[in-house]
Amino acid sequence: MSSEKLLEFFQPESVAIIGATPKEGKVGRAILENFIKKFKGRIYPVNPQYDEILGLKCYRNIKDLPESPDLAVIAIPAQHVPSALMELGEKGCKAAIIISGGFRETGTQEGAKLENELVEISKKYNIRVIGPNCIGVFDNWSGVDTFFTTKMRRPPRGYVGFISQSGAFATALMDWMAYHEIGVSRAISYGNKIDVDDVDLLEFLGEDDKTRVILMYVEGLKENRGKSFIETARKVTLKKPVIVYKAGKTSRGGRAASSHTAALAGDYSVYRAAFKQAGVIEAESFDEMMDVVRIFLDQPLMRGNRVYVVTDAGGVGVMLTDALTKNGFELPITPPDLKEQLKRILPPHCIVENPIDLTGDTDDERYIRVLDLLAKRDDVDAIVVVALPQVPGLKGTFIEYLAKLKKECNKPIVALTIGSEVSMETARKLRENGITVFESPERLANALKALRDYSLYVIKHMVD
Amino acid sequence: MMPRKIIENALNENRTKLLEHEAFEIAKYYGIPTPNAVLVKTPEEAYDLADKIGYPLVLKIVSPDITHKSDVGGVKLGLKNKEEVSEAVKEMLKTVQSRAPNARIAGIIMYKMAPPGLEVIVGGVRDDVFGAVVMFGLGGIFVEVLRDVSFRISPVSLDDALEMINEIKSATILNGFRGQPPADKHAIADIIVKTSKLLMENQEIESIDLNPVIAYSQGALAVDVRIVLKRGNK
Repeated sequence: MSSEKLLEFFQPESVAIIGATPKEGKVGRAILENFIKKFKGRIYPVNPQYDEILGLKCYRNIKDLPESPDLAVIAIPAQHVPSALMELGEKGCKAAIIISGGFRETGTQEGAKLENELVEISKKYNIRVIGPNCIGVFDNWSGVDTFFTTKMRRPPRGYVGFISQSGAFATALMDWMAYHEIGVSRAISYGNKIDVDDVDLLEFLGEDDKTRVILMYVEGLKENRGKSFIETARKVTLKKPVIVYKAGKTSRGGRAASSHTAALAGDYSVYRAAFKQAGVIEAESFDEMMDVVRIFLDQPLMRGNRVYVVTDAGGVGVMLTDALTKNGFELPITPPDLKEQLKRILPPHCIVENPIDLTGDTDDERYIRVLDLLAKRDDVDAIVVVALPQVPGLKGTFIEYLAKLKKECNKPIVALTIGSEVSMETARKLRENGITVFESPERLANALKALRDYSLYVIKHMVD
Repeated sequence: MMPRKIIENALNENRTKLLEHEAFEIAKYYGIPTPNAVLVKTPEEAYDLADKIGYPLVLKIVSPDITHKSDVGGVKLGLKNKEEVSEAVKEMLKTVQSRAPNARIAGIIMYKMAPPGLEVIVGGVRDDVFGAVVMFGLGGIFVEVLRDVSFRISPVSLDDALEMINEIKSATILNGFRGQPPADKHAIADIIVKTSKLLMENQEIESIDLNPVIAYSQGALAVDVRIVLKRGNK
């Protein structure tokens, strides 16, 4: 199925909201309000009990709509959903988000039966369906927003696309990203995925120019969808990074182990193999997931494995050396020509061996001179700047210079800062200038590793 | 016999585990190196074929009803000539018959004992989501205790297979250890690729274990092959 069809979910010109209501605290009200607030297209509330809701003309039934809506959002009790979907099909509607729960997830026969009806209707009328039992779509660019979680802050417009198997986690993450000012393009939670699933959405976001980094929360793919996932992910990862958090890592008890291999092939180990084969980056924890998202948003590809550390704190330099080495990075011994140059520009008590230690009496000028030398060299693949702002001479003026350097040299430059308000302020400034900042050497090394592994994967497969 | 025919036979007889000689034959069809093996039914047959197989020679009873072969006297190792072989076959048939009187006996498989080398495991299993999946690991405690194995989704290329081999934590052991020569990674990778193909082309197979595969400095040999079919196939 082509992803062109999915455009109607994200850029519709008209939307019908089945189950819109003026009643406070209801899902149908929250969704209608979302659309009124941000959506620029035509909005049609549908509810048999009203002629008008929140100042909009309300339609008593779907048949009465003045046009076939590009998108329908359905938030009515489960037993009425099949007939609503059928009427939408008759009307010519091609995309529906079914928010309502009460289907297969209930574990009841009735629920499964209703869900099967939806599958048949969607096939018969050729309607693409997201849901049921989902929170749907939050599109930061078009204003499509079916996230009925009213207390969730909306993140700023940006470039992270998020596909989530969990609606509650999608909500929490959007809220978190709003708080941390990470920009989002589109977020989708697909619930029972009777039609549109992870693979379709991955393909869509892969082609979406508002999405630069794709994040996925996956519990499990649909049966037999693994191969198409790998195929799609392989194409997408050459264009943009795909980061997956796989939940349900502990081994599945259910699989009858018919052999040695079967006993060892836990669900998770098979998923990991698939991620690796498709160039997908696996984040193993929540912290890692967000660290990796940030580094990918800000940093260019890393073309090799050689890292230089510039620090004003010897101890943190050693911590970083450990963390980076553990993650397979090379911290080259400063070559003789660079050593000469560094000795010329630095006072004699500074350490010119990598990690290069500017020591506690450093000022911004020292950073600028050293970073200038490093950024220009072909044998430097990434630079880690440790800027503990507690030292008296550091004003932070080197940060803007750093941003300029990063653009010119087109290599990753990341930073580490630890401390209280003064450190937060440094971190903020760094971030504003496109330098990814970490508080922990281990998390920095971990995120940089994801960037390196992805970069090497892309470089290798671009050549192939 | 073609793999298709072997699988159909087993399913027709309601067996989900293939017998040793059947599994060997399928592996061989895909070019997976296995010991030269024959199935014999009588001491006379064994006597006539033993020289061709070579020594030291191994005998194992083949029966869909016997899982623990040695418990019923169904395993003989280290036989050195055809006289010993025919005598051992005679004895084995007798012992097995008395200890497992109701077991169906397909015959006795005999093959040349493989010289020692580095024991590794190659396996394959069918996953609900990803389909055919292959596995590699080192034998013994590396798999049993440390679960130090790697996986790939089929199809796998030779490069993928080599990557799998180098990916396990204890991979350095393959490079030679305590005076052992390095194991032939290419030969192992070749077996992984062929196992993947075997699994992809025979959808009825649920899982396959080549355990152990003995790796040498040149070549590798799958000395035990187990193939399990999916239940409810027809």
